[in-house]
Amino acid sequence: MTEPIPVLSIIVLSPLVGALALLFQPERWRLSIRLTTLIFCLISLIGSLFIFVCYDQNVGGLQFVEKYPFVPNIGISYYVAADGISLALVLLTAIILISGFMASWGIATRSKEFYILLLLLVTGVFGVFVSFDLFLFFLFYELAVLPMYLLIGVWGTSTMVEPKGIFANAIRMTGLGSKEYGAMKLTLYLLLGSALILIGFLALYSFSGLHTFDYTSLATISLNKSTQNWLFLLFYIGFGTLAGIWPIHTWSPDGHAAAPTAVSMMHAGVLMKLGAYGIMRMGMGLLPDAALAFAPLMGTIAVINIVYGAFGAMWQNDLKYVVAYSSVSHMGIVMLGVATTNEMGLSGSVFQMFSHGIMTGLLFALVGLIYEKSHSREIPSMGGFANKMPGIATFFLIGALTSLGLPGLSGFVAEFLVFLGAWKSPMSWWLIPSVIGAFITAIYILRASKRIFFGAYKNRNHQSLIDATGYEWIAPIILSGTLIAFGIYPKLLLDPINVGIIEFLKILSK
Amino acid sequence: MLNLFIFELGICLAILIIFFLDIFLPTTKKSILGILSILLLITLLFLSNRFVITGTFFSQSFVSDQFAITLKQIFVISTIIVMLGSIAHAEDKLRGRDGEYYLLLLFSLLGMMIVVSSRELLLLFVGFELMSIPLYVLSAFSKDNQRSAEGAMKIFLFGTVSSALLLLGIGIFFAINGTTSWSPHFHFKGLNDPLGTLALIVLLSGFGFKIAAFPFQFWVPDTYEGAPTPFVAFLSVAPKIAGFGIIYRFLFEALDPLILKWTVYAFVIAAVTMVIGNLLALPQRNVKRILAYSGIAHIGYILLGLASGTKFGVEMSIFYFVAYLFSNMGAFLVAEAVNRSTGNDDLDAYKNLSQRSPFLSLSMLLFLLSLGGIPFVIGFWAKLYIFLAAARSGHFTLVIIGSILTVVALFYYLNIARRMYIDKGNDEIKPIHLPFSLKLSIGICAVLVVFLGFYPKIIVSVSERAISSFKMPL
Repeated sequence: MTEPIPVLSIIVLSPLVGALALLFQPERWRLSIRLTTLIFCLISLIGSLFIFVCYDQNVGGLQFVEKYPFVPNIGISYYVAADGISLALVLLTAIILISGFMASWGIATRSKEFYILLLLLVTGVFGVFVSFDLFLFFLFYELAVLPMYLLIGVWGTSTMVEPKGIFANAIRMTGLGSKEYGAMKLTLYLLLGSALILIGFLALYSFSGLHTFDYTSLATISLNKSTQNWLFLLFYIGFGTLAGIWPIHTWSPDGHAAAPTAVSMMHAGVLMKLGAYGIMRMGMGLLPDAALAFAPLMGTIAVINIVYGAFGAMWQNDLKYVVAYSSVSHMGIVMLGVATTNEMGLSGSVFQMFSHGIMTGLLFALVGLIYEKSHSREIPSMGGFANKMPGIATFFLIGALTSLGLPGLSGFVAEFLVFLGAWKSPMSWWLIPSVIGAFITAIYILRASKRIFFGAYKNRNHQSLIDATGYEWIAPIILSGTLIAFGIYPKLLLDPINVGIIEFLKILSK
Repeated sequence: MLNLFIFELGICLAILIIFFLDIFLPTTKKSILGILSILLLITLLFLSNRFVITGTFFSQSFVSDQFAITLKQIFVISTIIVMLGSIAHAEDKLRGRDGEYYLLLLFSLLGMMIVVSSRELLLLFVGFELMSIPLYVLSAFSKDNQRSAEGAMKIFLFGTVSSALLLLGIGIFFAINGTTSWSPHFHFKGLNDPLGTLALIVLLSGFGFKIAAFPFQFWVPDTYEGAPTPFVAFLSVAPKIAGFGIIYRFLFEALDPLILKWTVYAFVIAAVTMVIGNLLALPQRNVKRILAYSGIAHIGYILLGLASGTKFGVEMSIFYFVAYLFSNMGAFLVAEAVNRSTGNDDLDAYKNLSQRSPFLSLSMLLFLLSLGGIPFVIGFWAKLYIFLAAARSGHFTLVIIGSILTVVALFYYLNIARRMYIDKGNDEIKPIHLPFSLKLSIGICAVLVVFLGFYPKIIVSVSERAISSFKMPL
């Protein structure tokens, strides 16, 4: 069944077309470049809203299917479709894209190249969420990972942390804290992950005996246990690198702290979800037995993530590192939801992907704004900002409250569902460290907000700070609006997610 | 009947024309020779496409089958690109020795054609020497450069030793079989005989030097560093493909029943070559040396296809040739362009390249991504197909080693990209002026790398056709 309007292709390819259109404009056409980017971002956003509204929940399953042979001799096809989970994540990507773009409207140097790379990256992200051909999935996955190197390397910021202690010299040689270091570390970690994924895909391709990369046909066969186990391990480590699972999360704080605002938003907001989505879609969907066998391990590591990330965030003085470590912690909640393998946990996990994506996007956007105004990210040197920038302070608090799971905001729904799922799972002790993690989150995020926005000025120059102006408001408004909307009425998003999760449960209980 | 030799005859004719013109042309006008050779080769490519036939000649010792024809076309194309990239270099640096330069390239090309067409070890040896001796001379072509002399000495010594090995192998082969030729239905005697094994080892070592597989890779970095860069683009690609060509013919035609025995060795060599090449590239600071070591690593990947011992694997290694050809040649030609403006090949010479010449840096980025095996450029398909072939024959250890090494390789490729795009140089930004011929050759490579990355099917069908004459398991 092929749809009359290839809406998924439009969503996926419109950023790519936008990138091509930018290629033919000279750098000095500043406004035209920005408008072109905006138009193509809007096309994707409209498409994502369209599929979100038009997805028929009573029918369920894969909809908006498009399938054409691509490289028939080795069984590759262009196969895109969407189920309930894809819907949520595509919508997330579109929202983050448009607000990330608005947050980087004022970028000064080499703006054309920046937008081209950003659009390429987002093509990859959209592509991954809707691909149902393993090979196509991998292509898009690589496309989502690679532009990051240049984006961070060229437009990033270096925070020169002065290394101390006996290893100071060795650390200095790595260029710790510099954007080059962050970019290279992030790229190599993620490419190593993608190499493992590729091995896994090739192994699936040859072990299945079907000689096809088609997801739906690969999902019908069942491999024997031991094969499933080591394949799942490959996927878990490969995708897990991107999802930021402990102990291979270390690229995330360094990379996110070095990245420019829009890229941090995109990366922490959406790309890390690619990893979790990959584990769910590929790991659980194709290797259900192994997923059940590995669930205790996954859950335990996820719990470590939650607690470790929270403590990590507590120790940081650099505001961007605080948000970056909190991402590690929140991705732990996502992975915990996956590990529960029950309906509530899985739905909560996907909901958390969405909610955390929006929330971390909001926080990174605000950190970017604060840095632009005050030229500082060091929390100890800040204070009293709320007097001069009440708007930013308000939005930051909305983000912070979502982060600690205040009812009425979307973070609460997600965390509540995941914790409930964890309680009902065979390993109910997971709940205890997770709740402790959530508690620590409240401590560090509130403490950071207090030190930045309230109290006395630490620096005389800060008395002349100004609040955000003009287009700078757009990103925070969109993002916090989304947080509140889905916090008050979570059913809107939970219903389609549930439709997708039920399919997974069917596979798991077979 | 002459159609069988159309490539060889065409090149002989081209050699004669260039030779006589070289004598009569004044020194200032010698750049015509380059353009003329390119035109002759292009004509030859079109003629051969139309007229060439398959068959055997000289009591079956010379064979023109699809395999040979495909490889010959690849050789001609690579020579055309290299000559195009050499015109500016020859004009500026060689001062009247242009004619010799093009002649030697053509001679080497002729040698390669004979190599891939021979089913007779002595003919093969003649072809090998005809291919190699011009390479030794060309390596030493920048006479004043000490490094060039050193590199040339290395390739010469290694080359003569490998020729000696080859002769020894031929002798033993003859002693066992009573003949120096083979046919597709040949049965190698002495399979379980130490002497037979010795013959094989010695012969394959001789071939192994040409493709610079482990442990015969020592000459590569020094020779590449010293030799004229456009020539290195040729040296790093064409002779290696020729070496692989004859290895394939020899293994799949002469040693048919041994097929399972040698794959084990091929595996070990492939793995070691990949590891050595990639790891040794890491500490290098000179772009030509980085590319030299990465070239060794790529030989390892091609060997991986061979080692899978299946038809699909061999097909895909032919695909890899093509991918490697355009990406590697392109990268070396960019190195030549940078060298023209900065005078050295250090990594730091690439600082700010994206502002000095967006064209050069973008093409270099494409070549590096292709060499690194990143999607949407041809190198990705090459690596993917090779891994797929290895996975299909169940050798996951090598797939895992190979893919992890890909990440290692990306580290040093991205290091070059970082110099071009991210690092700030101290000097002021001077735009690089490129001669048109060099720009054209780099442009051709870049366009092909991208186009074939989106449409790899053409090359897949070419490689399928090339292998169709071999009999081997699917």
